[in-house]
Amino acid sequence: MQNIAATDTKKWDTVVELSGVTKYFDQNRPVSLFKREKHRIFALQDVTFSLKKGEFAAYAGPNGAGKSTTFKLLSGMLCPQTGSVRLFGMDPNKSRIPVMRRVGILFGNRSELWWDHPVRASFEWKKAVWDIDNATYDRVCDEMRELLGIGDFWNSFARELSLGQRMRANLALTLLHEPELVLLDEPTLGLDVLAKRQMIEFLKKINRDKQVTLLVTSHDMDDLTEMANRILLINSGHLAFDGDYEQLIRMTGDNRIIKLAVKGEAPTLSGASYVGMEDGKHLYRYDASQTSVAQIFGSISQIPSVDDVELRHEAIEQVIAKLYQNWAKASALANHSQI
Amino acid sequence: MADNLRNVLRLWKLYARMDLNWLLQDRVNVIIVILSETLSNLASMAGVLLLAVRFGGVGGLSADEVLFMLGFFELADGLGWMLFGNYNVIHISRRIGRGQVDHMLIQPRPLWMQLLTEGFMPFSGCHGLIIGIILTVISVSGLNITLTPVWFLLLVYYLIIHIVLRLSQSVLYGSMAFWKPVACEEISTMILDLNNQLGKFPLFGLPKPFTALLHTVLPIGLLAYLPALALLRELGKETELALPFLVAGVFVTAALVCFQKGLKHYAKYSCNRYKEMGHRC
Repeated sequence: MQNIAATDTKKWDTVVELSGVTKYFDQNRPVSLFKREKHRIFALQDVTFSLKKGEFAAYAGPNGAGKSTTFKLLSGMLCPQTGSVRLFGMDPNKSRIPVMRRVGILFGNRSELWWDHPVRASFEWKKAVWDIDNATYDRVCDEMRELLGIGDFWNSFARELSLGQRMRANLALTLLHEPELVLLDEPTLGLDVLAKRQMIEFLKKINRDKQVTLLVTSHDMDDLTEMANRILLINSGHLAFDGDYEQLIRMTGDNRIIKLAVKGEAPTLSGASYVGMEDGKHLYRYDASQTSVAQIFGSISQIPSVDDVELRHEAIEQVIAKLYQNWAKASALANHSQI
Repeated sequence: MADNLRNVLRLWKLYARMDLNWLLQDRVNVIIVILSETLSNLASMAGVLLLAVRFGGVGGLSADEVLFMLGFFELADGLGWMLFGNYNVIHISRRIGRGQVDHMLIQPRPLWMQLLTEGFMPFSGCHGLIIGIILTVISVSGLNITLTPVWFLLLVYYLIIHIVLRLSQSVLYGSMAFWKPVACEEISTMILDLNNQLGKFPLFGLPKPFTALLHTVLPIGLLAYLPALALLRELGKETELALPFLVAGVFVTAALVCFQKGLKHYAKYSCNRYKEMGHRC
């Protein structure tokens, strides 16, 4: 791992600690009709990081980078081939029950709600299984009704909820036992802009007000920059970056993508370079640390045939590719200077 | 120990309430489900009973004794279904092979406690038990049995043996789902169905090796036939008490070992429902 900002983590307030974790899966791939070839897929390779109490970290990377495997390791579902995983100083695989009392886990593609029961029943179920006392249950439910609006569908069947409602209900359920550590795997998956905004604001609030440690996965660069004060970038099982957003920008540039719908050929946009086409629209890239949004919109306003403009952060794959390019350049320079 | 017992009772209460809620949500639909389950249970016994009535007994048992055996089977099966029938607890291969173990692993409860309580459905799953009680009472009234406390203790003993054997076989064969999820679901379902279908037949007259096989390796003879004999005729004979206990003990041990091994395998390699070439495995 290169260029990773060191994290000064003291033992006494360390909530999550991964040290030299490697996790691989073996597959038998067909290379011909009768021949199989053993193939080892490294989901994680020598990954080391830790989280302090009250940190809000985004765990980001492209699909298949190893994010969900890390979450399964943290929740004790999987154990690593080498290295160690510790939550509150305990091995989650061996001390599952005490760890689970202090952790809330939400997988974006799964639901903890009881499908054939009203939402309320899932909360009552969790109250009994997690041994939550009446006062805490009432207080947290009231908070969730206010902050996540779950009161609107409290008596609806889980199977009847919209995706956004289901995610909110799942998140509220995850937080019902007031966990000290919350692991959220793609919590904004499939949410519309408004629901996503609500979700992010809520996560920020519980992190700020209750000092809950949050580790949230995403492969959306916009979500990352919105949410977390620390970013862990993972790619092909390697931890590629660990630091804050400012550090990441310094290393890769604050690249944004403009999607421009215009009639005819791609116009020239000063301060931005043309990338190509996507869905019949022209894509441009510009560095927000060099060129302001006002300048870009100034240029766009000169183009008479613009139908639509969309602005977003560069895709995470591109950011990671740029990181690797920069490291390769730096390493080549270092070698050259040694010669 | 006392804490565990208290927690089990609390969880049973919780799942009983959830079951009642489910029952009351759509009463007409639920009544249809229960009625059809009841008819299906009765129909599955009709063949053996009609043969016994037509020929004045079958497999070494009189018609009344066959009715008692069927009543005992239904009683034990109904009790097992009421305790473990919900949410695929009895079909544990489905839980393992469909990723539901992850949901269990994030609960701060021992897995045994979850499996012991989650399947409880005292309201929507009580039809088998009720039929079993009715059939047993009818058959006992037609037979010349002295009902003593020892007889009732023996009845409870064989009921427990029946449930333990069914459940341990489900866990034993179902644990293979940690390695081969889809194939195991098929195998496990077949074995459970085999228990359900063959367990209702009297085994008298079969060749000895075959009878031995059906009392040990595939212990369908211990589900109703041997208990019926013990309760009706040869009360308290040593083999009739010890053999079911030993066989159940072996199955429970094997089930626990396989489940633990499977969990370790799961933690190491996870459980993939699809092979690399896209086939289900």
